[in-house]
Amino acid sequence: MRAALDRLYNAAGVLAALFMIGTLAMVIAGIAGRLLHFNLPGTDAYAGYCMAAAGFLALAHTFRRGEHIRVTLILEHIGPRAQRVLELWALGVATLLSALFAYYSARLSWQSWDFHDISTGNDATPLWIPQLTMAVGTVVLWIAFLDEFILECRGARLAKVPDEALHNE
Amino acid sequence: MDALITTLLIGALFALLGSGVWIGIALSGVAWIGMELFSSRPAGDAMAVTIWGSASSWTLTALPLFVWMGEILFRTRLSEDMFKGLAPWLERVPGRLLHTNIIGCTIFAAVSGSSAATCATIGKMTLPELKARGYPEDITIGTLAGAGTLGLLIPPSIIMIVYGVSANVSIAELFIAGVIPGILLASLFSGYIVVWALLNPGKIPIASERTTFAQKFHASRHLIPVVILIAVVLGSIYVGVATATEAAAFGVVGSLCLSAVQGSLNRKTFFDSLMGATRLYCMIALILSGAAFLTIAMGYIGLPRHLAEWIGSQGLAPVWLIVALTLFYIVLGCFLDGISMVVLTMGVILPTVEAAHIDLLWFGIFVVLVVEMAQITPPVGFNLFVLQGMTKRQITWIARQAIPMFLLMSVAVAMVWIWPQLIMWLPAHMKLGG
Repeated sequence: MRAALDRLYNAAGVLAALFMIGTLAMVIAGIAGRLLHFNLPGTDAYAGYCMAAAGFLALAHTFRRGEHIRVTLILEHIGPRAQRVLELWALGVATLLSALFAYYSARLSWQSWDFHDISTGNDATPLWIPQLTMAVGTVVLWIAFLDEFILECRGARLAKVPDEALHNE
Repeated sequence: MDALITTLLIGALFALLGSGVWIGIALSGVAWIGMELFSSRPAGDAMAVTIWGSASSWTLTALPLFVWMGEILFRTRLSEDMFKGLAPWLERVPGRLLHTNIIGCTIFAAVSGSSAATCATIGKMTLPELKARGYPEDITIGTLAGAGTLGLLIPPSIIMIVYGVSANVSIAELFIAGVIPGILLASLFSGYIVVWALLNPGKIPIASERTTFAQKFHASRHLIPVVILIAVVLGSIYVGVATATEAAAFGVVGSLCLSAVQGSLNRKTFFDSLMGATRLYCMIALILSGAAFLTIAMGYIGLPRHLAEWIGSQGLAPVWLIVALTLFYIVLGCFLDGISMVVLTMGVILPTVEAAHIDLLWFGIFVVLVVEMAQITPPVGFNLFVLQGMTKRQITWIARQAIPMFLLMSVAVAMVWIWPQLIMWLPAHMKLGG
């Protein structure tokens, strides 16, 4: 179970990285099209979809690596018992909100499919397809929060030091 | 009623943030509470539509690409090369190699969009080199902490993209507008080092080797790759052949080429930089998502408009508005990172700023300057964290060394207020790309 979940987060993360390359490829395709005078309609929109996919699919992986930022000022200065209570509270809130986020993202994608919602740009993409990445990414994030919440309840959560998170911003 | 709503929402925000809820999630939570309690619209659907719209918008695509470019350059030998190229020229200036901190950060800032990355990349080179030559550690670390923040002001800049998207200001213009204030701030830092060196003559070690002009010139060849990269990225924006996003794509390809030429590009560094960039972008994207939802929720409730009307009715002169905002951001900067600060406040403050007839391009650079100050204010300041990790010193000690830099930044804010042309002149002379 543990291994399967970790594989899920990492697989979504790798998929996100592929969409990152996709974002670059779409922007370059747009430039090349303009310079070499061939017309690739909708590269702007595709770049946007790829970027969104990269962001949403990486959510759980980034969370597991401890790289989503939060204010730890209070957490660092209280005793272990209070810390545990506060961690449970933060993870509980995050699980609840990510569940709402996941549910309404899935609903948006489903509604776009149901109403045959088409992008208004010149890419004319049926919107449910790119929106599906948001639904999948947020569902995986919800699973990751729930996973972490249960681990914390059982006292089996690993303390993580975000090492790479430092050179951000 | 307004006062009650505001107090309740701000209270909820601080409770969620303070209790360690992840920032992006906390923003969504407050937006949800606000919409459920004070608006008749369904919160869930508004959340999904708004977040999807902001997360997939074309203007924002410059952000992941510049993040990626920074991650690639972080894993090259660029900073070593810059040190080799710069050091011979600085042996005769008062303060000598201390200036490699300032000039190194200024140059690296022109290819990097982030302050902490600039600080880390330059610091991993200058800190050990300067220590080995006997430079006092306090001023070395203090100047590095300050100069690292130039990563935000000198384009490309992640925070400017975030501001440009929230305020609907051209990112290309913001980038170009940051150039002169960035150079101004770098000159202030360098000037401080010169004055400090003249006041403390014994503290700077004497020059180790004399070099001829020809040798200096020859050493400068190490600077060629970074200069080309700057020319490609900023040049293409300034002459109008590329939008910010396209320049970012050039930047990624250019940094990969640079890394390949140097021989530091391999499967591992490529994969590391890609995954690092994906996670870093994702971290920012979560905050942006929460902020987009919060902004729309605030709009439905009508808070920003009421705030603008209230401040307008106070008859506050614009200068006092700016002074108040500066203080507000400095306090906020003690607890929040720069991106969260900008996205959190923009939705609420922009109508007020517009009502006071303050130019949004000018205001963008102002915000970047105060966010820079926040990078070096304890207890939460990203440059302080970076330097703490690199030097194993106490964060309060590092912050104390950076106080002169903080004061110089305040001087810069005052200068751009007195002479707005420092910001407005260059963008007025650029050609805009599509």
